[in-house]
Amino acid sequence: MDEILFSVSDFVAVTNQTLEYAYPTVSVVGEVAEYRISQGKWVSFKLKDAGAVVNCFAGVYQMRTPLEDGMKVIVVAQPRLNPKGYFNLNVKAVKPVGEGSIKKGFELLKAKLAAEGLFAPERKRTLPRVPRHVAVVTSTESAAYADFCRIVNERWGGLKIDVAHTQVQGMPAPDQMIRAIEYFNGLDTLPEVLVIIRGGGSAEDLATFNDEPLARAIASSRIPTLVGVGHEVDHTLADMVADARAATPTHAAETLVPDRGEIIRSAHVQAQSASNLLVQAIDHYSQQTRQSLEGAFRRIQERLDATFDRLSVLRGVVSQLNPEHVLRRGYALVRGDIKPGKVIEIETYKNIITAEVQDAREK
Amino acid sequence: MPEKNKSVQQKLTELSELVEWFQGADFKLETAVDKFQSAEKLAAEIEKDLTELKNEISVVKKHFDGNG
Repeated sequence: MDEILFSVSDFVAVTNQTLEYAYPTVSVVGEVAEYRISQGKWVSFKLKDAGAVVNCFAGVYQMRTPLEDGMKVIVVAQPRLNPKGYFNLNVKAVKPVGEGSIKKGFELLKAKLAAEGLFAPERKRTLPRVPRHVAVVTSTESAAYADFCRIVNERWGGLKIDVAHTQVQGMPAPDQMIRAIEYFNGLDTLPEVLVIIRGGGSAEDLATFNDEPLARAIASSRIPTLVGVGHEVDHTLADMVADARAATPTHAAETLVPDRGEIIRSAHVQAQSASNLLVQAIDHYSQQTRQSLEGAFRRIQERLDATFDRLSVLRGVVSQLNPEHVLRRGYALVRGDIKPGKVIEIETYKNIITAEVQDAREK
Repeated sequence: MPEKNKSVQQKLTELSELVEWFQGADFKLETAVDKFQSAEKLAAEIEKDLTELKNEISVVKKHFDGNG
């Protein structure tokens, strides 16, 4: 076999061609060392294990989670031989692995976003009490989505719900969800609430929701956001930047819409309270009327009493004028012609006497 | 008065306003019975509307995997 003679440049080019053919993308797990950011644009670090070390190179925009020396990560990269003779992994994506590293990445990004005010309570918008148009970003194949739909259907009706099916775990998931968020935010008529849900999972599964570009997409959404990821105890950066956090997808459904049963009961209670108020009003008017009538009766009674009192006095006077009473006092009533020889009648209290006039003189 | 084409939210607002009327300065016994009947009718309509309403759920056709 003839020996092939390469120029250095050709050798580098052929090596890269061979690498690209054999390993277009490799995933390498190791520990980060000598992590550096240059000019705010370029990231370089070494990926090492007990027996070897390899250089990694990336643009800042490719780093979806802040890194620190000592963190264990998976690097998805393209192996390249640099024209200057350095072998690099050109990083396409990097994600922390292992509980400690995931937690560390989470804390670093949380501190970064908090410093920018992305969790500030004053940024939170209130969700409409009863939305009519809702957008949902989730995996339609998940049990979480089925639970969400079931609870929403049980609790409320008349909603228009548009669902964007995306992956909710794995490397492509954050970008898919970001595209879905951008899609809904680009509609001519915006939905009133954007809901992002995912069921429970391992810390690594849920780490998807600690992705920096995803957190920023949620924070900058024009549509108010409601995020329900994992279980009650799980906290992700996605739900921290959201306008409202739900503990679970089921809780997201309960947060999104009121319970129609409660509304129906409340409507009947309100109608009943109107009835009670009406009865109270009737009682009030009845009492007022009764009091008015009682007042009128009292005044009539007073008038009657006064009239009877006056009548009684008048009766006394009239009684004194009765001739019977005068006769009782010893006076007599004389009837007839008072002329001598004439017969007259004299009435006393007890007797009527007939007498003849013997003499009559002027006094 | 309750109307067919009002949304549930509008009917809920109207019911609240009706109940407030009973406690307000505009209250008149002469019209109270009509208002109460309207409140009862609204509550019944709200129950009917809410029981009958169905959600319309549709999955967006667009793919978000970066391939269209």
